[in-house]
Amino acid sequence: MKLRRNIYAKENMTGYLFILPQMLVFLMFLVYPIFEGIRLSMYRINYQNEKFVGFENYMILFNDPVFFKALINTVVFVVFIVILTVGFALFVASAVFDKNARYVSFIRGSYYIPVMVSMVVMSMVWSFLLNPANGLISYFARDMGLGAINLLGNPKTVMPVIIFVTFATNVGQAIILYIAAMIGVPKDLFEAAEVDGASRWQVIRKILIPSVKPTTVYITIINIIAVLKIFVVIQLLTGGGPNNASVTLMYYLYNNAFKYNQLGVASAVGVIMFVITLLLSVPQLKSMLQDK
Amino acid sequence: MIRKRLLMTTAALMVIVSMIAGCAGNNKSGNETASNGGKGGKEKVEITAWLTPQWKGVLDATEQGADYDSFLKHAAEKFVAQYDKYDANVKVEVIAGDQRDQLLNVNLSSNTPPDVFFESVFPMGDYVHRGAIVPLTDIIDDEAKNDIDQSFWEAVTFGEDIYFYPFQHNPGTLVYNADMFRAAGLDNFIGGENEIKTWTMDEYQQILDALKSNLPKDKYPNAYPMALYAVNNQGDTWNLAYLRTFGSPFFDNEGNIVLDDEKGAKAAAWLKKLYDGGYTNPGAESVSSNDANAMFQNQQLGISFTNPILFSNMKTNMENGTSPKFDVRLANIPSESGDPLSFTYVVGASVFQSGNDKKMEVAKDFVKFFSTDPELVKSSKNGIPVRSSVAEELKDENPLFAAYDANSQYLFNFTGNVPGYSQLREVLYPELQALYLGQKTPEQMVKDYQVSGNKVIEQNKAGSVIYNK
Repeated sequence: MKLRRNIYAKENMTGYLFILPQMLVFLMFLVYPIFEGIRLSMYRINYQNEKFVGFENYMILFNDPVFFKALINTVVFVVFIVILTVGFALFVASAVFDKNARYVSFIRGSYYIPVMVSMVVMSMVWSFLLNPANGLISYFARDMGLGAINLLGNPKTVMPVIIFVTFATNVGQAIILYIAAMIGVPKDLFEAAEVDGASRWQVIRKILIPSVKPTTVYITIINIIAVLKIFVVIQLLTGGGPNNASVTLMYYLYNNAFKYNQLGVASAVGVIMFVITLLLSVPQLKSMLQDK
Repeated sequence: MIRKRLLMTTAALMVIVSMIAGCAGNNKSGNETASNGGKGGKEKVEITAWLTPQWKGVLDATEQGADYDSFLKHAAEKFVAQYDKYDANVKVEVIAGDQRDQLLNVNLSSNTPPDVFFESVFPMGDYVHRGAIVPLTDIIDDEAKNDIDQSFWEAVTFGEDIYFYPFQHNPGTLVYNADMFRAAGLDNFIGGENEIKTWTMDEYQQILDALKSNLPKDKYPNAYPMALYAVNNQGDTWNLAYLRTFGSPFFDNEGNIVLDDEKGAKAAAWLKKLYDGGYTNPGAESVSSNDANAMFQNQQLGISFTNPILFSNMKTNMENGTSPKFDVRLANIPSESGDPLSFTYVVGASVFQSGNDKKMEVAKDFVKFFSTDPELVKSSKNGIPVRSSVAEELKDENPLFAAYDANSQYLFNFTGNVPGYSQLREVLYPELQALYLGQKTPEQMVKDYQVSGNKVIEQNKAGSVIYNK
């Protein structure tokens, strides 16, 4: 028995050695930071020393109303941006996937351009439009006698604006993925539907949407993770304001780590974000694996 | 078969070894490179000096090719040429002011801080409290102590040690468009060209009323009486000054905020009244001080904020034709007592704790060199010199030196030297936003700011090396 195990181990040694570099990188840059983050979240750190403080950093978080605001805002962003992205991408992709190839390419290209542009540049463009002091929208509004318009300075409008900006920048990727998935759906299904006299809406509902379910799950997961990390647009457009109305967990983490030098508190936020991402992703990954 | 497997195993091992070798090779470059064989058989020591944009040129922005790093580069060249302890080299880098904390924190975490940092002292106090900056007490001699006023030494002393070598200072004042004042019939309120005009609160209100109602719309379309901004921590010192307008001392003797009283609430109510009354640019909660500065230069604001560097940059822009030319003059921030409110940013160099004794030695020598060299200290005229000897020598060149000097009796210490001041700055603007949006009453705003501000101070006292010696 022992001999057989030895032979088995020997036979697979080469394979293990080949994946060893990859595993080392994975352990060093992904697994180790997670454990280091968990460890740091229990310390008070300055440049000269670290002091173990148990769950004090978590208590600081749970006593901070801004943290809960960030948590709620992040959830709102995730829900709205993911629903909008999946819904709109499905709509566009199902409308064009079976059209002329050049037209499909044009649509794909048009929606993909904002994805290629850096989020920093996009945020600066939007900032140029929306700035209440010297922005283009405010300027035209004043010129037309509508008074001062400040969409980023109003707690009621700031979230919808950021949701729209992020959605408009990210949706191209989902459209590309959906069109690719829909082009791959077997043609005979559509032919059968045509013979049965199914309407376009029925084809989309009964054939297209179920056929691209793995893509939907994938888009949902990557968007949840991307939106949980939403930062640049907040940093450049609102700075989390007005009065923390648009602060997100990632921005809150950034503030603690790089502005307040509360590395322990920032690590605690990171740990909480990690747990949330895990909780949100596991059921969906599970369903994806079960389907396979 | 066995031979094939052996080959594969060897290949896999080679990949791993080369990776480890690669990583190890990268790790070697670091602090160790500080000491190699250099010129003249002396040890080679390279230090890095960072600065945030202060002023362009060695002496001023009119020089050919003037840039923000010109002064420190020139100082470095001069230092290296006469330095004989080591074969020294100084690398100068300009970093954006709004990236200062991010870059410093990342570099401190990875143990690669700059060796020298030339910056306004007020946001750097936190790094002293964190133990990241080394004391400079041993490089300050009696001559410097006698030449630089005690108030500046107090601003750079934490506990028993001096941590920054004061170079210049930048008093914060208001700036106004005198042409706009004339157009609004406010000739009587215009001060002299080299004067920092002081208005009473009543006069200030009259000025705002006239700028709001009497400005010719064809000449100044979309113009507002004064600047107000609260989107982030930029220019928050003026906001802090406004909150003292009705006599609030702001900090008590223990370094805690004491704004939550009648005087504090009155100041907050005054700001809200100005905002709601249309005396300021709209959307203050989403406007930065940079936006306000740009608006003033485009003649969209009658009164804004400035300091000597911003003021001279503005004048240079007008001379160069990069911004419209108009008559700009200085004024004090008014207060109810009649005495103006005045504050200043002390600018100077600090040396970071790099863990390499030779680098720190060279860094200290470099700081001492450019902070004392008779030719180099003259560059402090770009702000206001902290050295009495330089101010005396150059007083005819810049008549405003006397005006700033006369104001120094009204200076207040806006940081209170409290630990966590950078974090404290982050607490102020959300409260101001809540005030302007009407989410909080003035009373509620000052109360909440005091509670959250004092929490920040208390939290940072616990981690301060100065408070926990």
